[in-house]
Amino acid sequence: MFTEVLTRVVTVVAIMLPIAVLLFVGRQRLATTRREWRSRLRTEAPVIAILLVVLGFNRVMRQAGPAISQEIGFHMTSTFYQVEGEFILVFQRIASAEMTAYFSAIYVYGYAFLLVFPVVAYFALSETRTFRRLLTAYSLNYAIGVVLYILVIAYGPRNMMPELLIETNLYDNSPEYQHLTREVNRNVNVFPSLHTSLAATAAIYAFRTREQYRAWFPIAVVLAISVIISTMYLGIHWAIDVVAGLLLAGAAVWIADRLVARSALIRETTTRQLDRLRGNR
Amino acid sequence: MNRNSTTSVDGISRRSVLAAGAAGLALSTSGCIESVQSVVNGSGDGQVSLSIMTVPADGDRENVQIARHLEENLEAAGVDVSVDMRSRSEFLEAILLDHEFDCYVGRHPGEYDPDFLYETLHSTYASEKGWQNPFGVTSPIAFDRPLEAQRAADGDERRDHIATLLSNLATAVPFEPICIPDENRIARSDRFEGWDSGHLATRHGYLGLEPAADVDRLHALITDSRISRNLNPLSATLRERGTIIDLVYDSLLTERDGEIEPWLAESIETETEDGSTTIHVTLREECLFHDEEPVTAEDVAFTYRFLDDTSLGRTSISSPAPRYRGHVSAIDHVAVDDQYQLTITTSTGEAVALRALTVPIVPRHRWRDQVVDRSEDDEFSTEQGEWGLVTMDNIPATGGGPYRFESNSEREYLTLERYDDHFTRRENDLPEAPVEELEFSIDPGSKSSIERVASGNADVTASMVSASTVADIPDESGLTHLEQGSNTFYHLGFNTRKTPFSNVHFRRAVAQLLDKAWLVENVFYGHASPITTPVADEWTPDELAWEGEDPAAPFVGSDGELDVELAKQAFENAGYRYDEEGRLLESY
Repeated sequence: MFTEVLTRVVTVVAIMLPIAVLLFVGRQRLATTRREWRSRLRTEAPVIAILLVVLGFNRVMRQAGPAISQEIGFHMTSTFYQVEGEFILVFQRIASAEMTAYFSAIYVYGYAFLLVFPVVAYFALSETRTFRRLLTAYSLNYAIGVVLYILVIAYGPRNMMPELLIETNLYDNSPEYQHLTREVNRNVNVFPSLHTSLAATAAIYAFRTREQYRAWFPIAVVLAISVIISTMYLGIHWAIDVVAGLLLAGAAVWIADRLVARSALIRETTTRQLDRLRGNR
Repeated sequence: MNRNSTTSVDGISRRSVLAAGAAGLALSTSGCIESVQSVVNGSGDGQVSLSIMTVPADGDRENVQIARHLEENLEAAGVDVSVDMRSRSEFLEAILLDHEFDCYVGRHPGEYDPDFLYETLHSTYASEKGWQNPFGVTSPIAFDRPLEAQRAADGDERRDHIATLLSNLATAVPFEPICIPDENRIARSDRFEGWDSGHLATRHGYLGLEPAADVDRLHALITDSRISRNLNPLSATLRERGTIIDLVYDSLLTERDGEIEPWLAESIETETEDGSTTIHVTLREECLFHDEEPVTAEDVAFTYRFLDDTSLGRTSISSPAPRYRGHVSAIDHVAVDDQYQLTITTSTGEAVALRALTVPIVPRHRWRDQVVDRSEDDEFSTEQGEWGLVTMDNIPATGGGPYRFESNSEREYLTLERYDDHFTRRENDLPEAPVEELEFSIDPGSKSSIERVASGNADVTASMVSASTVADIPDESGLTHLEQGSNTFYHLGFNTRKTPFSNVHFRRAVAQLLDKAWLVENVFYGHASPITTPVADEWTPDELAWEGEDPAAPFVGSDGELDVELAKQAFENAGYRYDEEGRLLESY
């Protein structure tokens, strides 16, 4: 079941990716990338490694998390429910079979594509900073996210008011996705919404690169907003999780800017010093 | 760690909590979350405040709906109330071990014989941990007396004492029974026959099956992941009915459709006189545990001694197991006559004595060694219900049952394999393990479980499916829709150790806020029966039988709609007052 669903996601992204690359990235950038990929990869390797380490750490924490959480975590379901009550039911007003199909597809496929495409697109840029910042921001999202998952034990709205979400509940309508999400997450990991934070992160970078990728920007924004709404429409997240996700995205991008700017500065300085030492200024 | 069970918003506007929450989010530190908690918990201004603990909808979505129905009605009656959600094991930890709760909505495993109420209600167990008296109720006259009396009796006399007990239960309400669910399952009839030969919550549900010619594996789906992580028969927080434990461990006798039959005991002879029963047990000969060690009378005697005190006398205070407390307490003495003969005496009538013989028999050599090993530790402590031996995962489990542990993966699956040396393989008149391999895969969703069985990717939903998904069970050839009765029941449990639920009048007023008939219709879609007592119909006296309405705790309202004035009156009659804003005030 799990492999089936995963294969489907991989296939969909694998089909959409080349189309998007042709449409948004263009032949010219691809040609340059073919010439420069080695040197770009060399500069970008550290951030790729960091992201992989963070993802690996996330996987480990999925196993070890519950035990740690039980020791130091805070039960927050009742607080969230008291604060926002049935707020997310506002999205039930637009509920229909088509909407549910749309948001389910967005939640699974749209989200995967929204995260993967910028990685490819920014690799195709001749400057490497955007790519390094994006991956740093992704890593920060995951790293901070996993810490919050351990600290905050909370169940999502579908677990609190199942009968009110019966029409749109993701797992009622597409039970097969449960096998996928169960593999990557636990049902008490709702705060913050990483779907929201990563989608928002991708959208923020789409805004910043709107000069280079003019057509991608509006698409990324529509996708990101859809992903964010889908988390509440499908009954997976509270509005509080979404707000936290947005704040996390902002924080991740802000920190990534500082981190990558500094390491770039250090590198520039060292290069300059090396040049000076070699006497070939 | 926040173990405070009374989370509430006391006299603080939602906006200020939201602001505090936002501040907490912005800084994303644990310190801030702590401060939000303290704002939320804030000191009371006199309004009655309580929390309803329950489990998330994943796997069993009815509990939380009942909890929210109650929440809504309590709120309307002026109580400050919140719904607190815990995973199934943490839920049981809070209720059975820590006793840190106000009230809860959950499903009790129940049992075929009403004697389970002995451990549930007897005042002796009010401070013990485990399934024994989680409500902390101490009522020597209302409960202990009829509990003891029913134990000593059989037949009509016992029925009378049970009737007294149930009527006292309906008056004192340490817990309020809500309904008995219908157990609905879907199974593949093209791969196995005999699905109705035993209840699927017991070993007989599996052992009676007849596989089709080329079938050598049964793939069952289970919504609850706990069995993939732990196989300790004594765990209070990780077991429900112990169905899978009963496939791995044998008991002397086995219950089948309400009847008691010999199992590991080849035969028994009972003599009952003046409320005491002597049972001569003859074990089946040449039975082996899964590690090839022989099963003897010593193991049986050990099991009862061990359940009674898991420290085996190595600490000054005895440490009874958090499960099977009532079973073991019925037994006075176990004498080993020879390798396969025992004499067990109880201070009870026959029915209760037989029930005591349904506990899983554990291998003496393994568990005794465990106690000895652990007692060599300098920090040896056997905290009742919580110490290492009753909480350890016990993987691989070594029982003597028809199936033995093969492999597991946490939150994924548990695989058992047929134990070819089991006595059912040589006795012709007993149901035996039908297939070589029995795999229980964890699938948390009822709907996806049904789809998997329907599409041929599994053979049966071992867990009963959620009432809301019963309509999704397809009517196709090769499939069968199983509908079986249940001993389990949904109930609202009260912590009578602390206010406000220490007040019986308050408990009764709260019990009347539940519209059981409406819940059965709207939450269970009719796949349940509303109840007044927690035992089977045959034990329920006529005056407590459900005849269209609740004879003991009638809902104050109709069709799920609360009559707020009547509800408030009930609280006022219980000695509580309201302020001018309609908030129920704490009584002093």
